Amino acid sequence: VNFPLKITCKEAHHLLSDRMDRPLGGGERWRLWLHLRFCRMCSRVDRQMDFLRSAMRRLGE
Amino acid sequence: VGGGRGVGDPGRGAGRSAPLHRAVAAEDLGRRHPEAQDHRSLPAARREVSTDAAAEAAEVETFDELFAQDGHRASMPLEWGDPERSLERTQFFDVLQACLDHLPASLARIFMMREWLDYDTSEICKELGITPTNCFVMLYRARMRLRECLEMNWFATKGAA
Repeated sequence: VNFPLKITCKEAHHLLSDRMDRPLGGGERWRLWLHLRFCRMCSRVDRQMDFLRSAMRRLGE
Repeated sequence: VGGGRGVGDPGRGAGRSAPLHRAVAAEDLGRRHPEAQDHRSLPAARREVSTDAAAEAAEVETFDELFAQDGHRASMPLEWGDPERSLERTQFFDVLQACLDHLPASLARIFMMREWLDYDTSEICKELGITPTNCFVMLYRARMRLRECLEMNWFATKGAA
């Protein structure tokens, strides 16, 4: 089976969101981890997604 | 629909009141505030949202203007600095609420179910009658739009400073 290790930012963005809703598979997790190590843009968006979740927890408090 | 953290749960969400987002339909409100349930409107509201949801999901591939053809991001997301500080500001929550209000209704609803009412995605799928894949894509789209909206209307402005 061929699992390309490199994913695009678009795929990485989808995985960033998906992992807030479902557990990622091993391959997905590994490819995302690898991408995030080298991509500043996606790492930024990753932190922003976490922030969005914490903001939603506080909404209406 | 079971699930650990429902409305009757005294944990998170208890004691919270309005402002409730308008996209959270009566049946969701009922989960939180049983006295607020409006039985007459339920079937119609549900049908409408499901159709909406299907339509949203269908245009999945057309949306991504964030990315160039090759899947690379077209523009650099801003550095948000220390966003936690924003959580101390009531103005930030006004902006967040306004951004939620600007989402297409079906995206707002599914996002609120997931992130505010804390439903599992499986519960959401069942309730809205959509596939998990559609569900994930809609949540993705809601998050990306909100990210963009917060960036433009809060983090890129003096409000966040």
